[in-house]
Amino acid sequence: MASDRIFGLVVLMTALAYIASATQIQTSFLADPVGPKAFPILVGAVAALSSLVLIFRPDDEPEWPAIRTFGSLLVAIIVLVGYAYALRPFGFIVPTAIAAAILSYQISPRALPAALTGVGLSVGLFLLFKYALGLGLVPFPKEFFG
Amino acid sequence: MDILTNLGIGFEIALSPFTLMLAIIGCFLGTIIGALPGLGPSNGVAILIPLTFTIGLDATSALVLMTAVYYGAMYGGRISSILLNIPGDEPALMTTLDGYPMAKQGRAGDALVLSGVASFVGAFLATIGLMLLAPTLARVAFLFGPAEYFALYLLAFCTLGGMASNNQAKSAIASCIGLGIAMIGVDNSSGLPRLTGGNLHLMDGVDFLVAIVGLFAIAEVFFFIESHGKGSSIGVKLDKVTIPWRDIMSTKWTMLRASGLGFFAGILPGAGASLGSFLAYMSEKSIAGEDGGFGTGVPKGIAAPEAGNNAAAGGALVPMLTLGVPGSGTTAVLLALLMTLNITPGPTLFTERPEVVWGLIASLLIANFVLLLMNVPMVKIFVRVLQVPAWILLPGVTMISFVGIFSLSGSHFDLILMVGFGVLGYFLRKLDVPTVPVILGILLGGNMEDALRRAMVLSDGDFIFLFSSPIALGLWIAAILGFVAPMFLRGVLKKPQAITD
Amino acid sequence: MKFNCMKGLAAGALMTVAFATTATAAECIAPANPGGGWDFTCRQIGKIMFDIGAVDKPIQVTNMAGAGGGLAFNHVVTERNDDADLIVAASSATSTRLAQNAYAGMTAGQVRFVGAIGADPGVIVVAANSPFKSLNDLVDAIKADPGSVAFAGGSAVGGFDHLKPLMVLQRAGFTDITKVKYIGVDGGADAITQTVGGFTQAMTGDMSEIVGFLKSGDVRALAVLTEERVPGFDDIPTAKEQGLDVVAVNWRGLYVPRGVSDDTFNSWADKLQKVADSAEWKEAMAANGLAPFTKVGADFQSYVDSLVVEVNQLSKDIGVIQ
Repeated sequence: MASDRIFGLVVLMTALAYIASATQIQTSFLADPVGPKAFPILVGAVAALSSLVLIFRPDDEPEWPAIRTFGSLLVAIIVLVGYAYALRPFGFIVPTAIAAAILSYQISPRALPAALTGVGLSVGLFLLFKYALGLGLVPFPKEFFG
Repeated sequence: MDILTNLGIGFEIALSPFTLMLAIIGCFLGTIIGALPGLGPSNGVAILIPLTFTIGLDATSALVLMTAVYYGAMYGGRISSILLNIPGDEPALMTTLDGYPMAKQGRAGDALVLSGVASFVGAFLATIGLMLLAPTLARVAFLFGPAEYFALYLLAFCTLGGMASNNQAKSAIASCIGLGIAMIGVDNSSGLPRLTGGNLHLMDGVDFLVAIVGLFAIAEVFFFIESHGKGSSIGVKLDKVTIPWRDIMSTKWTMLRASGLGFFAGILPGAGASLGSFLAYMSEKSIAGEDGGFGTGVPKGIAAPEAGNNAAAGGALVPMLTLGVPGSGTTAVLLALLMTLNITPGPTLFTERPEVVWGLIASLLIANFVLLLMNVPMVKIFVRVLQVPAWILLPGVTMISFVGIFSLSGSHFDLILMVGFGVLGYFLRKLDVPTVPVILGILLGGNMEDALRRAMVLSDGDFIFLFSSPIALGLWIAAILGFVAPMFLRGVLKKPQAITD
Repeated sequence: MKFNCMKGLAAGALMTVAFATTATAAECIAPANPGGGWDFTCRQIGKIMFDIGAVDKPIQVTNMAGAGGGLAFNHVVTERNDDADLIVAASSATSTRLAQNAYAGMTAGQVRFVGAIGADPGVIVVAANSPFKSLNDLVDAIKADPGSVAFAGGSAVGGFDHLKPLMVLQRAGFTDITKVKYIGVDGGADAITQTVGGFTQAMTGDMSEIVGFLKSGDVRALAVLTEERVPGFDDIPTAKEQGLDVVAVNWRGLYVPRGVSDDTFNSWADKLQKVADSAEWKEAMAANGLAPFTKVGADFQSYVDSLVVEVNQLSKDIGVIQ
């Protein structure tokens, strides 16, 4: 019950914020009869209405995991975000190996298989993408080779 | 018969041991590309264009290889949908709805074979349609103006009412999320950016691939971290792979109807394969009614979207070849290929370069049969994926997704956005909010708004214009009678039954 | 059937070898998805440069779609400013957007324009059954009732395709441009479809977009926006000879990062000149409705600079930007 209500409130807030920013959309004087604001405002309004339904008639409570699980989800998110930032400056191989190993460890907490998975995936996928599919991946940062 | 003679010419051009080998390679590569999340048919074809130059293929061979990859990728998209609940590309989205539940029951092999056959039927019928009717059907595009397109997209959105969730408000919120995201970017009708916060990366809006991969693949990883793989399809004891004749026979009409709808959606430029599979699935669902069990892993729920999206892929070739209008991202890439081969599609292509057209049609037919024949043995290999332990498979899927999305724009922005969609997907699924409408909102929302605003420009803001043609009116009626009315009537119709119980 | 898979794998390995050679080749960024004009520019020029031996390794094409080319422009300016192995596809759309400040404050001076080797002449066409027989018929109709004619074009409102009819109308003395109906659709072919279908009365676009439809007789070109009539399309009158002096061509060319040496700049200009002179490029141009338009090196840089100033002034005059 509470989850749906909270979700409803979040949607409501987001929808209102969305409508507010939609009213700020620049309009050129060349604009068409409908204009660039109408649709976003309409979408925001429908979302807001639906969120009210949710607040007043919530479904049953879903099964949430324990706090500790949320902790490991947070770690996973941090790893993925860090990986996203690391891909360009550090090349493909090293960040991929590290990120894949951590994710693997999180799914099944055994260190050695996880580390092997990381290294295996990173090298294997690099070969697949670079040579079989021809994507322009950089294996290591350019500086390594001067 | 003219067509048979022409087809003979086509096969003479396209059929040789060498091209047959290319077709097999193309189908194989295409299937792999289609199955990898984040890499869709358009990636596949785009990657292969430089390849054809590097190997120095002649025009016909290049065409055979390309069409094989194109159809291969369309076939391949379903594989990860069914096995892992992660659509390989956007037309395979609807296949997750029934394909994945079926795989969880241990029937992954059946689901793959059935969807393979459905893909074949859809693609084969569409190729026949292309062959017989292309020049005539091209004129259909001239009948669709902004008002007609608006009604068509509206029809698609009305069907969302019958989406999987029990709670209509949640479906509505999901589509609003998608629509809201679709509004981001440079507004086509005023040329000014909207809701981008001044961020250059958002000027072209949010790529639907980023959303799909985030909402499905990344969210799936989060679920695995939470549950360590319980209740998923991985490690489920598999039935032996056989050909499920009963399922195939029981879905034959579904396949035929879905192929027709898909082909039609494909012919309309701008609608494309996703709309084809979507309309095919939703209309079969409403034909089957509440007892059809759609969403729980029924054969019809797999056959309909697969026949639909492959027929749409064939249909999309009609406007591409005869008008030069690409109906989807993938046909845009094929168009690019033709142009690099110095073939300019347009209304005169069929008369001026018959060898190209019939060669292409012959290679489509070849690719189709190769795919069907390759399918059954390949299914045996693909289902093995489910025997890979989750702690290898899931990190692998994540890394593939990252590379696929990274190849879109080469920036970390899309990747961060993808992780964001992953988090969103996790919470939406926890709260039983369907994610498919989010994707459809992103895919079709912008088109729908554009169509409405173009219509209003043409009519000086007169709303009557939206109902001004028989086609538009027909689509409105279909939307209201077929999908909106049942939603409200459901309660009324059910009450008497409740009393007799 | 296992045999087929093995064959596929073997062939995959074969392709692998073919691909390994491209590792350190020059890169051409197409600032759009595969299939568009910029993609075509990169792929054709890259292919021909390799075929005629101007470069010794095939040029690798990267698609970097975003912000109408702005993302790639930003990427080149901020991250690749001294990369000598980088070329980027550009066209009139690039200079138009720079002139209208659509790249978030970035300016044409932040890169070096190497050259253009072909141009797509602007055209204004109507459906074959249209009552308008000349550009002046169309202009007169708009003057009498602006709402009676709607244009369809492949660019967004305020983009290059939209500017073309506005420029014509400006020359004709019609300045109330907010009254002119224009819908931006997804590309020229789509715009033609809408026009042949009768939803819009005229289409504004490039010659390459209408070639097939001219041959099939679905459309009639009222005017081509060039100085002279275009070879091969000699029966299409220019706007100029109909008394409306408007020239608008969509050039196809390249730019390189600002920070490269003059030697690098000149060597790319030479390579581009070689492509322009090649028989293959001439064939590609003919097949795609491009007219010869070769300007390379410093000559082209000054052309782009003046174009940016001109379009900026024009956009202000017409009122597309403030």
